[in-house]
Amino acid sequence: MILDGVELALDRGSLNWVGGANGIGKTTLLRICAGLITPDSGAVELDGLHPHRHRARYQARVGFLSAGDRGLYARLTVRQHLELWGRLSLLPRDRFRSTVERMISRLHLEELADRRMDRLSMGQRQRVRFAMAFLHEPDLVLLDEPLNSLDRSGVDLLLGCLASVTSRGGAALWTSPSAPDVVPFDTRRVLEQGRLARKGGR
Amino acid sequence: MRAQLAASSAIFHRDLRVFLSYRSRLYSQAISTVASLAVFYYLSRLLSVKTFASSSSYFAFVVVGIVIIAVVQSTLVLGGSVRGELVAGTFERVILSPFGAVRGAMSMMIFPTVHAFVMGAWTLLVASVFFGLHLRWATLPLAIPVGVLAAVTFSAIALLITALVIVFKQAPGMGLLIVGITFVSGLYFPTELLPGWIRWVSAVQPFSPAVNLLRHLLVGLPMSTSPWLALGKLLAFSCVLFPLGAWVLARGVSMGQRRGTIIEY
Repeated sequence: MILDGVELALDRGSLNWVGGANGIGKTTLLRICAGLITPDSGAVELDGLHPHRHRARYQARVGFLSAGDRGLYARLTVRQHLELWGRLSLLPRDRFRSTVERMISRLHLEELADRRMDRLSMGQRQRVRFAMAFLHEPDLVLLDEPLNSLDRSGVDLLLGCLASVTSRGGAALWTSPSAPDVVPFDTRRVLEQGRLARKGGR
Repeated sequence: MRAQLAASSAIFHRDLRVFLSYRSRLYSQAISTVASLAVFYYLSRLLSVKTFASSSSYFAFVVVGIVIIAVVQSTLVLGGSVRGELVAGTFERVILSPFGAVRGAMSMMIFPTVHAFVMGAWTLLVASVFFGLHLRWATLPLAIPVGVLAAVTFSAIALLITALVIVFKQAPGMGLLIVGITFVSGLYFPTELLPGWIRWVSAVQPFSPAVNLLRHLLVGLPMSTSPWLALGKLLAFSCVLFPLGAWVLARGVSMGQRRGTIIEY
């Protein structure tokens, strides 16, 4: 058993970190919260919505960034990725184009927008993955080791996106082996032997 | 509903763009169609089969078989496509979207099917212009809705296979399944040539009525049963199999999420 008796409540407007050693269950925790996998027992809720019973409404409010650089199509451009993700997110027609363009601008992807993914650096791809995770303006953002391949400006762009989520009352859950100093987390917890232990706040 | 259609269309456009990004693929497929037709054209000249009045009727018979097997394969590739996307991590995004895994997987069949229809039209055109195939123009337009109905029926089987891929991470025997379909549905030779003990299989699957009906509509080959009966069978198969396929796929996704197999790539 990887996780056992984990209890985690995220306050509105909060930025939360969960750390722990490799293989301790951080990614599993995020995947359960995202609704990607179902726990043997226990429940996840977002304002009363269940990830499987209210799947579409739940997913419309959750943004997920997996670890690594997966989830991109080598032969599609940045804009085509965002348009595809916008459509899969069922964005309303009148908001679709402006939302895609706003995200391109927010993550400084203007010059890369028509470039194919296989012609981008790892750090640039990571910015595209952020754009996809934040595109539909989620209330809960789940980030698995998001600083992968990022330079300082990339980190600032990510922090800007997170600030926009927390400022409108959303929350973020960030997992990584150690807490990066540059991020002002409100809560810090560590997974140990399948359970969460609080390690203080900001 | 409009947003769902737009999402489906976005998946179609994604697949189209990826396909067109490999520029030589379209040309090589077009050329291999001509080569394949040439092989069967000369084979039909070599052989004399008592079931057919002339070598031209065998050629017409087999050309439609080639078109249909392309449609069958275009739907059955879904399991492999989903597996590829699971490995690449792209299907994870579809699962975690409001559009969802089941609709996403169904939409992934649209481009391969449209592609198979276009290649089918190209095959008939080449066979007609270069190899003297006589198309039955009066009923040819009716082949389009019947072809769509057939594709829907075949895709139900693809949904069942995809559920296996998601739960067990593999669907062995796909090649064997396609060979079996060509065998019992009479794609390359008439089922009358099969031994009696296996011929009954031709009557209890959706491929034979689709094949016979399309042959009748496209090239005017006679049918052993009424076209309406074949259409009714095809319709019945699609009405039963497609909802069943969608339900099994939904169960497969749910089971894959419980067992964790959906992310173990």
